Amino acid sequence: MKDSNSKPDISRRAFLGGGAAVTGAGAAAALGGGVANSAVEGGAKKHYVMVIDARRCYGVQACTVACKAEYKVPLGENRSWVEEIEKGNYPNVTRSFLPRLCNHCDEPPCVPVCPTGATFKRDEDGIVVIDKDVCIGCKSCIQACPYDQRFLNEDTHTADKCDFCIHRVSQGLQPACVEACPSRARIFGDLNDPDSEVSRLIATNKVSVLRPGYGTEPNVYYIGADHTGENDHYAEFSYVDVKTNRRFAERR
Amino acid sequence: MTNRRDFLKLGAIAASAGLLGSRARADARLQSAGVHAGPLLHGGKDFSPITYEERKAVPSACYQCVTRCPMVGYVENGRLEKISPQMNSIRTEGTLCAKAQAGVNHVYDPDRILYPMRRVGKRGEGKWKRVRWDEALDEIAERLKKLRDAGTPEKFMFHYGRMKSSTSKMVKSVFLATYGTGTIGDHTSICEGSKWVAQELSWGGHYDNWDFDNTQFILNFGSNVFEAHTNHTPVAHRLARALVERNLRMITFDVRLSNTAAKSSEWIPVKPGTDIAVILAMCNVIVNEDLMPVEGREFLRFCRVTRDVGATTEEKIAALKAHLAEYTPEWAEGISGVPAEKIVAIARELASKHPAAIISYRGPITHAFGVEAERALQMLAAITGNIDNPGGRLKAVGPKWKYPKGPKDKPKSGVLEVTKGFEGQVAFPNHHVSNQIFDVIREGSFGRPEVYMWYKYQPVYSNGDCKANEEILKDESILPFTVAVTPFYDESAALADLILPEATYLERWDWEDMVSPNQVPEYYIRQPIVPPMGETRDFGDVVCDLAERMGMPLGFKTKEEFVRLSCEMTPEVKAAGGFEYMKTHGVYHNPQTKPVYYSYLREIPESDYKAEDVIYDVREQLYWNWKKSKARSREEALEKGYMHTKNAYKGYVGQRIGDKVYRGFVPDKVNKTGYMEIYSELMEEKGFKPMPSYYPIPEHQELGKDDLILTTFKVNVQSHSRTQNCKWLTEIYHANPAWINPETAAARGIANGDLIKVKSEKGEITTKARVTPAVVPGVVAISNHCGHWKYGRYASGSAAPEEFRLNEKDPDLDRIWWSDDRGAHPNWLIPNKPDPIGGEQRWNDTVVKVEKVAAA
Repeated sequence: MKDSNSKPDISRRAFLGGGAAVTGAGAAAALGGGVANSAVEGGAKKHYVMVIDARRCYGVQACTVACKAEYKVPLGENRSWVEEIEKGNYPNVTRSFLPRLCNHCDEPPCVPVCPTGATFKRDEDGIVVIDKDVCIGCKSCIQACPYDQRFLNEDTHTADKCDFCIHRVSQGLQPACVEACPSRARIFGDLNDPDSEVSRLIATNKVSVLRPGYGTEPNVYYIGADHTGENDHYAEFSYVDVKTNRRFAERR
Repeated sequence: MTNRRDFLKLGAIAASAGLLGSRARADARLQSAGVHAGPLLHGGKDFSPITYEERKAVPSACYQCVTRCPMVGYVENGRLEKISPQMNSIRTEGTLCAKAQAGVNHVYDPDRILYPMRRVGKRGEGKWKRVRWDEALDEIAERLKKLRDAGTPEKFMFHYGRMKSSTSKMVKSVFLATYGTGTIGDHTSICEGSKWVAQELSWGGHYDNWDFDNTQFILNFGSNVFEAHTNHTPVAHRLARALVERNLRMITFDVRLSNTAAKSSEWIPVKPGTDIAVILAMCNVIVNEDLMPVEGREFLRFCRVTRDVGATTEEKIAALKAHLAEYTPEWAEGISGVPAEKIVAIARELASKHPAAIISYRGPITHAFGVEAERALQMLAAITGNIDNPGGRLKAVGPKWKYPKGPKDKPKSGVLEVTKGFEGQVAFPNHHVSNQIFDVIREGSFGRPEVYMWYKYQPVYSNGDCKANEEILKDESILPFTVAVTPFYDESAALADLILPEATYLERWDWEDMVSPNQVPEYYIRQPIVPPMGETRDFGDVVCDLAERMGMPLGFKTKEEFVRLSCEMTPEVKAAGGFEYMKTHGVYHNPQTKPVYYSYLREIPESDYKAEDVIYDVREQLYWNWKKSKARSREEALEKGYMHTKNAYKGYVGQRIGDKVYRGFVPDKVNKTGYMEIYSELMEEKGFKPMPSYYPIPEHQELGKDDLILTTFKVNVQSHSRTQNCKWLTEIYHANPAWINPETAAARGIANGDLIKVKSEKGEITTKARVTPAVVPGVVAISNHCGHWKYGRYASGSAAPEEFRLNEKDPDLDRIWWSDDRGAHPNWLIPNKPDPIGGEQRWNDTVVKVEKVAAA
């Protein structure tokens, strides 16, 4: 996961965002798109993104637990979590924090592989959602996600992951993790609005995304994040320890 | 393989995709979720992710730790579903931590206990019968009455771990006082007792607030404020804001790279218990290089630095220079391992940046002579003018509730002197010596309680020397009758004779009073978000009931009534709308109130210091009301003087400085003057040096080649002993491998992940090694929180007795994935030894040996 200075081209993104749903999901695309048009209030499409200002994050895991509490996520799985990267040589050692969640990609690899159209990217706001009533739990999307964000929820027997708290966002509330973060390290908003905080942060800071080389076009941007991975100790540091703080000790 | 459900779903999908001409089976709520047009609110509402319906909000207060943040519980179908920040709180500014949000887990912990339990087998054997509350309380009342009738009410000992605000007032000030026992133990000396004693010896009433919103520089000795602090989230989120938005520099001295050290501009590793050497050397640099900023020089006017309270500023500076002469940076380097040039550079930086917040916590304090580290820090803050000023180290401010005091005629309480350590063991047991209580009771010369009741306390797990704690609690010849008041079947409750099941904090009442980081008091309450489950009861209600049974009604019948009466009695709260307002809003602060700084500068009017019974102490140059002390006459008071009259501090009125009388630094618990005392005559009288001084930690002076020093610490998602039943927290943190520096590990042939044995004079534990450069060489650092052997299946794998527990269907019980490593509890290794000055448990002084057991 190397750092990249990746700023979105907003006009291109808006175009692709709409197109992804059409090209991505075949028959089901009409479902996403069709409903979306009627659901947009005032006709203004949103492009929801999250900016994570890692300089602010002090690793307190409020977001992780807020998300668990919001969805009663079964033990062993997470829709969001915070990783720790510790590196250096005594006494020059650092530890930094990397909050993780679904990237709500503009080119979501999970969407085209879904055989039922349960997973789709909403045209009206760019949120990648899973319709649990349509998902058959085939796990194709879980395999497809390069960020390890999807899992099979043992309680619902369907694929599960972050949906930017659509039940909150669609009703005028910030996502649960954003509400919970005590240092305001998670900032959520509309990239189509040039005056939004996320637009301003992305325009005025060096931002990075995860796995920029994968062509997924993530919508979670990081400021000041350390993207060192476990294997980087050969190249740069004699000591690197990445803790995922979840059941899966290895980072994907 | 396609099952029936999937088959049905396929039908639904075909339908939803338009193949069957209908989409009725798709999730209608998701499919029709619109796009909100306006800005998104940060909080204040909550919706079900299943039904999208709005949930009922109940404002209340967290109690996962002593910070007690205001919060809001959200209820759906009678069930607490979510805990969210209280957006209107000026303390939290709408923030909460992970622990707070996992509070939901307490209510629905399948191992919480719901019914009173009476032991039937041997103590600790685990055999119980269910009893009615009536039976349980009749038995207790009968035993207590018997003690009272025999004239020995003090043989009822009440011992609490966390009891604050209205519960403390109801139980301690009203119930126990009306009954007549003063044998009341607390837990402060296993927390931060020596920090408070140092403050009482220097600036009076304890508790320091750190003004991160207004500071320019932060110097931190051993506080892990980003993970654990007595006012954690309220100050931590302000610190994060200051560091990022104002690009402040923060320097942290710590034995290991805590998350606080990691977020600091610099982490400076320091050997355990030697922070004081660095602090004294910084004072040395500042006075010897004449770097004292003008604010520091001016503040010296309010400091006592010599025996003579009337010394001039120049005399005070000369005294500082003389005292600090031996504490050179080179000397400190030899002790602490911190390079002398580093000490000099930071001292110069501190002197050049004003205001600076100089902060501390358990790192420097939990050692032998820990009081001196905090006193030295007070000196450093004083000479740089960083005391009680905007941006500095502040006298904390909290709300002042009024409350019903219960029956007027209370007996004079009897006391078994078991809470202050052995004779001569601790010079200032102002906050007790709770780590010695079991030893003192076992020894027996101060008497033994016949009824020992504990509340929100874990004597077995939370003190050092767990083995001895278990032995004593099990021994009926030492403690003949014991009662645990707790919602959970923990290591201590399992050894009780009677367990009274308490409601969790999410099911009960309180008014609350924790201090504000912004120096403006906030009034707030705790109210039941859901009703108490099973037969659990608010302990406030229980003491009212017990009092009735003993024929001593308290004047109120429930905690709710006590809270309601308090709301009506407290002028600011009453003016805001009283109890009804607080129930609706949860929090209240007076928007007219200005932040409180420089409280010591308030002048005392002549009418106060010339009032009846107020006398002038010529030697200390202060006014005090002798009638509030234990003096029997004015003559006796004048003859003995302020310093030597018992409880004279209670009558303190003001300090004369120059031609004015100031409020000064109001004494508490000891007879100090109204000056900020850098020079402490009280210390001198106890045989210590009057100025903050370095005393070596005895055990660390002759370490053998194989010896290491054990350091314990706390992490961000757990409180010390009470959150491990919260599955969402314990999923994140359940194992606590021992941190060892690569150099130290290599010398013992230990590699990362190896199984190791850690041995001390008290015992041994087996755990895993975490080989990391994030800890100083020569140390093994093991966190608290882990290695429970009771406290439910999430914490330990050990269930509470089936017929007493909640037994809620919880599919997560089958998903506990950390059963193979639940960590180890370091307290088995640590003896119960107090700081000889302040009584603090010496958590971080234990000498251990570490050896490899098996490769990873």
